[in-house]
Amino acid sequence: MTFIPDAFKERYLPLVDDEDAFLASLEVLLPKSFRVNTLKSNADEVKARFAGYGITINQMPWYQEAFVSENPDIGATLEHFTGAIYMQELVSMLPPLLIREQLKDARFVLDACAAPGSKTTQLAALMDNKGVIVANDASYSRTRALKFNLEKTGTINSIITNQDLRNFPHMQFDAILVDAPCSAEGTIRKNDKLFSEWSEKSIFSQSRLQKQLITKAFELLTPGGTMIYSTCTFAPEENEAVVDWLLQSYPDAVIEPIPEMEGLKLSHPVEEWKGATFNAWVRNTRRIWPHHNNTGGFYLAKVRK
Amino acid sequence: MRGEHRRQGNEQPPQETKGMVLDYLEERFGLSPETFKGFGLYMASKGRIYLGPVRAIGSPRIVCLGITIARLSGTVKPSTNLIQLFGRQMSRNIIRLEKEEAMAYARGDDLRLAPERLDRITPGYVALNYLDVPLGCGMLKDGSIRNMLPKAKRLELKFI
Ligand SMILES: C[S@@+](CC[C@H](N)C(=O)[O-])C[C@H]1O[C@@H](n2cnc3c(N)ncnc32)[C@H](O)[C@@H]1O
Repeated sequence: MTFIPDAFKERYLPLVDDEDAFLASLEVLLPKSFRVNTLKSNADEVKARFAGYGITINQMPWYQEAFVSENPDIGATLEHFTGAIYMQELVSMLPPLLIREQLKDARFVLDACAAPGSKTTQLAALMDNKGVIVANDASYSRTRALKFNLEKTGTINSIITNQDLRNFPHMQFDAILVDAPCSAEGTIRKNDKLFSEWSEKSIFSQSRLQKQLITKAFELLTPGGTMIYSTCTFAPEENEAVVDWLLQSYPDAVIEPIPEMEGLKLSHPVEEWKGATFNAWVRNTRRIWPHHNNTGGFYLAKVRK
Repeated sequence: MRGEHRRQGNEQPPQETKGMVLDYLEERFGLSPETFKGFGLYMASKGRIYLGPVRAIGSPRIVCLGITIARLSGTVKPSTNLIQLFGRQMSRNIIRLEKEEAMAYARGDDLRLAPERLDRITPGYVALNYLDVPLGCGMLKDGSIRNMLPKAKRLELKFI
């Protein structure tokens, strides 16, 4: 039984549609999921191979490259060895997917907080290794795992940079992912130590950093370009409040609606929190609650300049 | 250490080195230089050669570009990444492994194959396949194949 702090329950139970289902979902380990790496294979080939192994996999209707399996041995398949599949959480596949159209003819793409590279490798696949992806991370040690994953997946069109995004030199990108460092409350299902370090204080300090990251990233965006801001946490301070802050700083930023996806329940964002009401455009952003789709928790905002 | 790593990841190799790598890959594996059209080669520390995007950026804090395709130390040593990604376009010095051999290779073991299976293979680096799937690199010498798979990539395969 995971110990869930009272302060956590006080914060989030009022936000969910079904308290019991939400709390229960936090206790359940996530099923294994993976993405087919189209730089090396394709969904049909992988389906055929796994059928041959007798491993049951379920294809997601919202993304034909996304699969879930209860089999614990996905990591011991030939496809994992060769980089034809990449173990990745389902919700983590959403940010690149939301800019799929923009990626088709993008020349420069920035993955601003890239390590260990799940989204970078997916971006490269969606771009078919064309254009350039700058995969940046402030942590040098984390760029090693990033490098390993880019190599394994055959991500040729990438440049790894090691810089605090806030000091990133001025360049213009056609598309940007800000997969922000966050308090990661939505990952409790794969990290049962999460609550031992959880505190509201850390939420506030993450929020301050995220506000700096989102405005800096917006400045790096070409006019007409698209940016996805995402976190894997529930705290409105790190989600809606950050997008609200961007709109205060840059009132011309457009928050685009996030399209519905077949077989994936997206939820409305929080409209007010602790007495403050967010800018009405924030309503175009989306949350994913863990009990709705048997995934981790997630937040997504699509911003156009 | 950190500074050095960054500086060295972003240099164009001299024409001579570039020619040496591309010529080797063509001669040894029948891999046409056309394969790499649209990409650039870069030199990094420890003789590493990266295949990355052509349009590099000016940022001084570049750690590396693209993927490591070879390492130079007198000769050219092709990387497992290169073979896994471009193996299907290779036409020479490819050895097809049987299931048990492929599993042994993935585990990191060296291989000894019957001489008749090495008929058209010349000593040196070889590409190892299972069915039509390129697995990685080996070194054929005196009738046995040394496993060149980096430790971090080794895996006990259950499904193949
Ligand atoms: C949620 S993780 C990114 C996960 C990654 N996008 C993926 O899909 O594999 C956030 C990353 O942001 C990095 N980070 C933290 N502060 C940063 C900053 N100021 N500038 C750039 N990156 C930062 C962390 O080192 C961490 O690797």
